[in-house]
Amino acid sequence: MSSLTERVIKFNVLRAIALYTALTVMAWCALFPILWAVSGSLKKERDVTAPVLLPPHPQWSNYGEVFALMPFWRMFLNTVFYAGCVTTGQVFFCSLAGYAFARLPFKGRDVLFLAYLGTLMVPLTVTVIPQFILMRTFGWTDTPWSMIVPGLFGSAFGTYLMRQFFRTLPNELEEAAILDGCSPWQVYWRVLLPHTKPAVMVLAVLTWVNVWNDFLWPLLMIQRDNISPLTLGLVHLQGQYVSRWPVLMAASMLILLPLVIIYAVAQRAFIRGIALSGFGGR
Amino acid sequence: MFIAPNLLAVAVFMLFPLGFSLYMAFQKWNLFNPATFVGWANFHRLFTGDPLFAIALRNTAVFTVGTVVPTLAISLIVAATLNRKIKGIGIFRTVLFLPLAVSAVVMAVVWRFVFDTNNGLLNIMLGWIGIGPVPWLVDPTWAMVSLCLVSIWQSVPFATVILLAAMQGVPEDLYEAAKIDGAGEIRRFFAITLPLIRSASSFVVVVSIIKSFQAFDLVYVLTGGHGGPESATYVFGIMLFQNAFAFTDVGYASALAWVMFAILLVITILQLRFSRRNSLEQ
Repeated sequence: MSSLTERVIKFNVLRAIALYTALTVMAWCALFPILWAVSGSLKKERDVTAPVLLPPHPQWSNYGEVFALMPFWRMFLNTVFYAGCVTTGQVFFCSLAGYAFARLPFKGRDVLFLAYLGTLMVPLTVTVIPQFILMRTFGWTDTPWSMIVPGLFGSAFGTYLMRQFFRTLPNELEEAAILDGCSPWQVYWRVLLPHTKPAVMVLAVLTWVNVWNDFLWPLLMIQRDNISPLTLGLVHLQGQYVSRWPVLMAASMLILLPLVIIYAVAQRAFIRGIALSGFGGR
Repeated sequence: MFIAPNLLAVAVFMLFPLGFSLYMAFQKWNLFNPATFVGWANFHRLFTGDPLFAIALRNTAVFTVGTVVPTLAISLIVAATLNRKIKGIGIFRTVLFLPLAVSAVVMAVVWRFVFDTNNGLLNIMLGWIGIGPVPWLVDPTWAMVSLCLVSIWQSVPFATVILLAAMQGVPEDLYEAAKIDGAGEIRRFFAITLPLIRSASSFVVVVSIIKSFQAFDLVYVLTGGHGGPESATYVFGIMLFQNAFAFTDVGYASALAWVMFAILLVITILQLRFSRRNSLEQ
């Protein structure tokens, strides 16, 4: 009897060890390019080939060099500004429209909502050229407007997300407010919006990440360094200093760091948002 | 009134581009001279006059298959491993999902470092086990392999998020019943988990196909923007970008965009049909 329990315990221990080993291997695969980049960013240029993860003399000066070779802070502030504007606009206008689609009856509402859903299917490749021409017609190419305005007033995806969430809120919430004589605006702003925090978080994180990581649109729109976002700056840097790996890695890590912080802080909203983003891009 | 700003944005930046792009597909226009109507000439040229179209089609197909199939296989394994209640699983999830925060551009720059023929980590590690330097991004065949590797690394976390969520929805008592019947862990995975998460896997496949079919950022930065070496990574995303914004052949590029859209639609519909029929047979 006791030998059987022993064997069961032994088996379970072995199973746990196998499981943790497998998990560690997977985690290592996910992390190793990033760790290797961090390590590379701290090595001397002639030592980047050395297969050590922890450089004996970390060269923090590589990070200093990034600031010397590209206007990093300028581009950082540009990116924060673009992401901040677009995120604020998206959250506000999408929740407003989502509220209307979920709660206010009006003529043609459901048809209009279907049209919104339809636009989610259209791939970026089809719309990017006309959007480019639109920006050119407005004379907005190579200005901050082109980075902000297209996303500022909301998107079909964000509206869809917010509408779905508004629909889950109980009707009792607003009934009392309507009896008290609140206008639809007051119902939205004072009563319902405070309850949509989880969805707002998801939309905000997702929008922020999209703007932060976007490359194609800035590549088409922006030429001048002083209004350029970070991704574009990194690609330019790479074009100029093709194999100065330590500096390139340092710049990459500086761009990555803010998102890793957001990821660490808002992990739940982040992962939920990314999962939802599969249902339709920006 | 609440949806007016949002509606305007969706109309201007989604609906109008959609129509305008279709209109342009039948025009010859270089952005400067007035556009002229050319009928089906753009499509005709795509299918019969441009050898690059066949190359891009082939590369995109290889890239899509080479990304989607391994991604699904790996993420199924990872999700199944993560789907347990054991100590410290939260940390492993956090780490494994971290690549979600990394932008395609940063990732491409970091991976260029990993792939570097002389200094790259991969070749150093292969050297330890006696395999000579692999010309990752230099040789046409290896360049496509490299591209797929990075793309898999990028898409596994997303697929894992979706699959893990689906696996957590599988009722526990099914596993208990199977356990009593003596089904081993692997047997239970194939007999219970896989069939029950079929719709999630089909969703993952559709979204991954759409994403890799339109890949641009990653390819542009990883292999230098021209689909090199020797057009080995010349995919539709690059072809569209070059025609629209380097050669400013807007009409031709729009025709290409619509052909891409059509191919994607057909694949998606076929895939949905296929998975529906499978689930009916169950």
